[in-house]
Amino acid sequence: MRKLHVLGYSLLLLFLCFCSQPDRVPDEVRVRLAGEPETLNPVSYNTAGSLQVINLLFQSLMTVDLADDQIKPALAMAQPDIVQRDSLTYISYLLRQEAEWTNGSPVTAADVAFTLKVLKAPLLNNEQMKPQVAFIRDILIDKADYKKFTFVCEGYTPEMELLTGDFFILPAYLFDPEGKLEAFKVSDFAGDVSALESNKDLQNFAARYNSADYARNKNLLQGSGGYILSEWVPGQYLTLKRKDDWWGNHVDDNTQALTANPQQISFQIIPDNTTALLALRNRQLDVLENIQAAEFNQLKSDKSFTENYALYTPDSYQFAYIGLNSRLPKLSDKRTRQAIANLLDISSFIKVSQQSYATPTVGPVPPAIKPYYNNKLKPYTYNLQKATALLQAAGWQQKTDGWFKNINGKEQQLTLELSYRAGNTVFESAALIFQQGAAKAGIPVTVQAQEGSLFSQKAKAHEFDMFFRSLSGNPFVFNFKPLFYTSYANDGPNYTGFGTQESDNILDAYNEAEEESDKARLLKRLQEILHEEATFIALYYQKDRLAVHRRFGNLKISGLEPNYDVSSFTLKE
Amino acid sequence: MLHYLLKRLFLAVPMLWLLATLVFLLSRLLPGSYASESILQEGNGYYAKGSTTDRTLAYQQYLIRTGQNLPLFYFSITSSASLPDSIFQIIPEGAQNTIQQLAWRTGNWKEVYTFWRKLQELKQQASPTQLQAFAPYLRTITATSDAQQRVQAARAITKYDATLQPAQELYKLALKLQKQQGSLNFMIPSFRWHGTANQYHRWLASLLRGNFGTSYRDNRNVTEVIMEASANTFWIIFTSMLLTTLAALEISIKLVQPKYNQWRKAVMPVLFLIDSIPLFVLALLFLVLFASPAFLQLFPVYGLGYSHGGQSWLEQTSRTLPYLALPILCLSLAHLPYLANQFYNALSEAKAMDYTRTAQAKGLPPEVIIRRHVLRNALLPIITLLSDFLPGLIAGSVVIETIFAIPGTGRLLITSVQARDYPILVAIVLAVALAKVVSHVVADVCYAYADPRIRYKTAS
Amino acid sequence: MKRLLRDVQQLWQDKLAFRLAAVYLVLLVVLVLVLPWLPLPFAPNYLDLNHLFQPPFSDVTGAVNIHWFGTDALGRDVMTETLYGARTGLFISIPVVITSTFIGLVLGASAGFFGDNRLKISKAALLLLPLLLFLLFYLGLYLPLQIQQYRLPSTGIWLSWGILVLCTAVLWLLLRLAPQKAFWFRSEIKFPLDMLIIRAIEVVSSVPWLILVLLLASFMPPSVVLLSLILTLTNWTHTARLARAEMLRIREMPYIEAGRTLGFTDVQLVFRQALPNMLGPVMVVVGFSLAGLLTLESTLSFLGIGLPPTVVSWGRTITGIRSNTSAWWLVAFPGGFLALTVLALQTFSYYMRFLLKKG
Repeated sequence: MRKLHVLGYSLLLLFLCFCSQPDRVPDEVRVRLAGEPETLNPVSYNTAGSLQVINLLFQSLMTVDLADDQIKPALAMAQPDIVQRDSLTYISYLLRQEAEWTNGSPVTAADVAFTLKVLKAPLLNNEQMKPQVAFIRDILIDKADYKKFTFVCEGYTPEMELLTGDFFILPAYLFDPEGKLEAFKVSDFAGDVSALESNKDLQNFAARYNSADYARNKNLLQGSGGYILSEWVPGQYLTLKRKDDWWGNHVDDNTQALTANPQQISFQIIPDNTTALLALRNRQLDVLENIQAAEFNQLKSDKSFTENYALYTPDSYQFAYIGLNSRLPKLSDKRTRQAIANLLDISSFIKVSQQSYATPTVGPVPPAIKPYYNNKLKPYTYNLQKATALLQAAGWQQKTDGWFKNINGKEQQLTLELSYRAGNTVFESAALIFQQGAAKAGIPVTVQAQEGSLFSQKAKAHEFDMFFRSLSGNPFVFNFKPLFYTSYANDGPNYTGFGTQESDNILDAYNEAEEESDKARLLKRLQEILHEEATFIALYYQKDRLAVHRRFGNLKISGLEPNYDVSSFTLKE
Repeated sequence: MLHYLLKRLFLAVPMLWLLATLVFLLSRLLPGSYASESILQEGNGYYAKGSTTDRTLAYQQYLIRTGQNLPLFYFSITSSASLPDSIFQIIPEGAQNTIQQLAWRTGNWKEVYTFWRKLQELKQQASPTQLQAFAPYLRTITATSDAQQRVQAARAITKYDATLQPAQELYKLALKLQKQQGSLNFMIPSFRWHGTANQYHRWLASLLRGNFGTSYRDNRNVTEVIMEASANTFWIIFTSMLLTTLAALEISIKLVQPKYNQWRKAVMPVLFLIDSIPLFVLALLFLVLFASPAFLQLFPVYGLGYSHGGQSWLEQTSRTLPYLALPILCLSLAHLPYLANQFYNALSEAKAMDYTRTAQAKGLPPEVIIRRHVLRNALLPIITLLSDFLPGLIAGSVVIETIFAIPGTGRLLITSVQARDYPILVAIVLAVALAKVVSHVVADVCYAYADPRIRYKTAS
Repeated sequence: MKRLLRDVQQLWQDKLAFRLAAVYLVLLVVLVLVLPWLPLPFAPNYLDLNHLFQPPFSDVTGAVNIHWFGTDALGRDVMTETLYGARTGLFISIPVVITSTFIGLVLGASAGFFGDNRLKISKAALLLLPLLLFLLFYLGLYLPLQIQQYRLPSTGIWLSWGILVLCTAVLWLLLRLAPQKAFWFRSEIKFPLDMLIIRAIEVVSSVPWLILVLLLASFMPPSVVLLSLILTLTNWTHTARLARAEMLRIREMPYIEAGRTLGFTDVQLVFRQALPNMLGPVMVVVGFSLAGLLTLESTLSFLGIGLPPTVVSWGRTITGIRSNTSAWWLVAFPGGFLALTVLALQTFSYYMRFLLKKG
């Protein structure tokens, strides 16, 4: 018994031995990941954290330079040539001469063809990326220059150029050392592929590719990027080491888009936000993004913290919006929807969840993009009289317990069910604020938090009254057709059922317009129509909040995820 | 003794199997699957990455590849009006509910499925201008529950273009469905036999071969994943249980003696107070007090520290020990009041026995009486308590691991439920149940060791 | 029973802690009941959007009403939240505890009383039991749920329940009027009730409740009813085990045997003799369960499962500290109240157990 006591007390003493911090290399950047990356496969990755890591290991043809939010060529030498002939589009690329893999062999068009085969073949774990490249029918490799090739695409949409440059190029020598896919052509995988499913070579390759090796093995997941994975302790951290002599350092036309400055990058997996903040205050993290607004304000006023860390609030391209189901008879009248829009207290939404770190917007175009933003319109504000007047104009009669209207012969009360994805505290607060505001107008609102996949299902089946959603945009392409075109209202992303003849014409005309002034004019008119129809009510664009240690410069802070480019961090002397 | 233990273990197997089956079937009730969000996502950006039809097709391919398109069990009993699962999965998510609703209303799922197929054919064959003209009618057909409106919409479409064959057939089908509207066919149950081509059979077959399957997220072997996660959790739970037991024993031994009566009046309420604080509040409190630069910086904040490969086992343990300190202390403190209370009850019951008085009369000091006589007799209920304690510790470890960022079974459980990673989920539940069975068996062994009567009874 | 009350009175006079705990609990129940009529400055769930995260006891000049305990992230008054949170907590925990104790008592007592050998069912009944269960599940649960989901006319629900009742009646008549000749059908066999119930208890209690709650709450929308249902389904095992143990002990008591010789039926024995004697230990467990449930609810809020956002609860207020770690008042007041209530409940149960041991 006594011996057990001694054991117990000695254990306790051992715990209290710790008093110092582990020493660190100054040229190492410590970044926080909010969840385990699970897989680092460039085709089947699933989380934002894994995308950030894969971006350092592998490269795509084009990349976004976060310094100026422009699309710049990465593996490609320059912007592609686009030729439209018949009903096909030909997009031609030339790979950089210097581009090479970890073992020194050059990146060739054969690797691009191999990547396409992996993305499109059946039996492989690629269903996520497959729809994205479904429009690429074939690849034509130049006979003379093994770095030149052309994509053959079906039809044409403005985002095609973006999509062809968007997928990571895989090294054939690592992913298919036995050359099992060489017998196939990319065009074999377009269309009906059921005949290929019994092909022995494909089955062998699938068994090898789908295994855990290609999700976690650091010897197999090496690309043309500036870093290699040196260690991955599952659930705890990942370490990336810079390649010794990376080709990106010797590129002539230095567009500054190819960078690999820090010697070592370590990603720490910390799921809880409070713990992450504590780690930041403890100087154990160098970068922390997605800081809560209230905490951010406290950090700003903490002198000892701002001595070592710099705080940034870039304008992000993510905005929140409310969708009203215009198919429902009670919401089919435009004035009813405008009345509901006039009960939205957007400034309170912002105050509660974002403090002052958000900008109200009138439509899906960011206010920061001045040429396209329609600043003649004013965002909706809380206006009880206007809402009441609009409801009366729409034929609703106010009685003691609410608003009533005769629809299809029956007396129906105006009630709303506001749904949002469960777990989203920002939307939860906004929903409660709206509930209180609408109660003042006499409209009972029920707030419904729905589980993720249930929420998507109901949106697709159009079984909702009102929902909160967020959308991530970008500054390159504004193709709003899938969101707002009437033909997508039945079984496409147009869940709200928005659409008039004029808006359809505008969307078609925008995709064909060449002049900037035309595009601006069309987009501004689209925003006007959206504002008037009040089916898709954009609320605000948020600002992201992040803190970075002051010893690093050249951070490339931007509104696009992940708000900074860790590969360009340079140690200040 | 050994015979008895083996019999116990043997009897535990059917219970484990039942538990695994229940969790397997229950977990599949969860809506969505691992990749449904990521493959079927759309409308999340300014432009579409792939059309809806492509995405639906890719999702179906995913289901076929991972075997999730198979029926769930050997048989299924549903209403005879309900669409069979294999057909149901082909219909895209947005239309599933309306088609199923139509099938239930008319009681004839074959006709409804043909109706839906004709609708898709019509959409494919019609030209874009025709489609735009048809749009309101198509919407009525899919959305309405009134048969008359459906028939009228179908007729309006036929009026547009008499040469469109699918439109004519659609109209005929709509009329037929209208006649069957309101039938009570849905009340009749139908028994569908699926044979061995079902998910449960596959899972059971691989389980019997010792293969728990592979995780949906990264295709790693489930056993490997759980072993990795359990390593950390096991140490935390084991050490905290050891600490709590020791501390609870000490406290209860001291409190049971009459000379510590005053102490008891103070200590018991304090223990109750600690018990009333929810675990996560306690953990946050510890974090803020002992690991924050604002107060005392005694412990590191998160994780398990850096390990540099090639270290001996002792070095690695001493490196990770400080990181485990706070979680272990927190978990121990949270469960201390309960155990102390129970031990105290058991000890005071045993103390009321006659042999205590005898020992007192013999002249032994009270401390020795408690430790040597009373404790041995109170061991049985104490062992029972400890063996029942395990599920509670696992629940507590979930909260601890989330807050202290330690990768363990608790966190794995939550993430696998959220990501619908069924193989891992079922395996974790099985592992926990197995641990409980093992702890019961260990408790039995301890009983036999503590009480010779049991040893002889089970041997005979 | 009378002796119990006398002992309680004795305890009241002797122990100060017991008096305090009892008085606190009674006051709490009274407060919770009269809460809607109390003149509080703010209504529950009222969002005062001009005062977010206001610290308590802050001096706001010109304000009509003062937030004595401060406000949370949405401007809700913490004092109102704390008081109404007690109401929600008790309104959820008390029915759950009562229902799960009832289920546990029934199952545990019958397992203990009938054991493996005492309950006799005719073979015919045994064969028809699965059929009855299937009909119950299909007509009573599955069809109404689907009818509701697919928005079919609700007459279908009444129809299916009517058919269920009809089928049950037919089966019962069949059993009663079974032909005398088929002796094999009417002979009785022993139904191993004890073994079944023990296995059920083991299975349910070996899955950590958290997993069950996570699974069940993952796909059900957050609602008070569903949460109560889940909590009931996971909480009955403790009482059942206790009731079974007690019943096994009581069964051997001489007064049961005396009652049997006097001609009492099984039911009478159980209800009038056995159950009142089991009530003591069960009451103690009730006290601890109640305390545990109150804490459980706030832990579920922390994990993001449980009640809808429009329901006031302590867990909702405490979790607010995650978005602003310096808002100590969000944990201090509801947390303190929770701690006090749990303390009172545990002291109360502790003394009850103390009392039962003496008696």
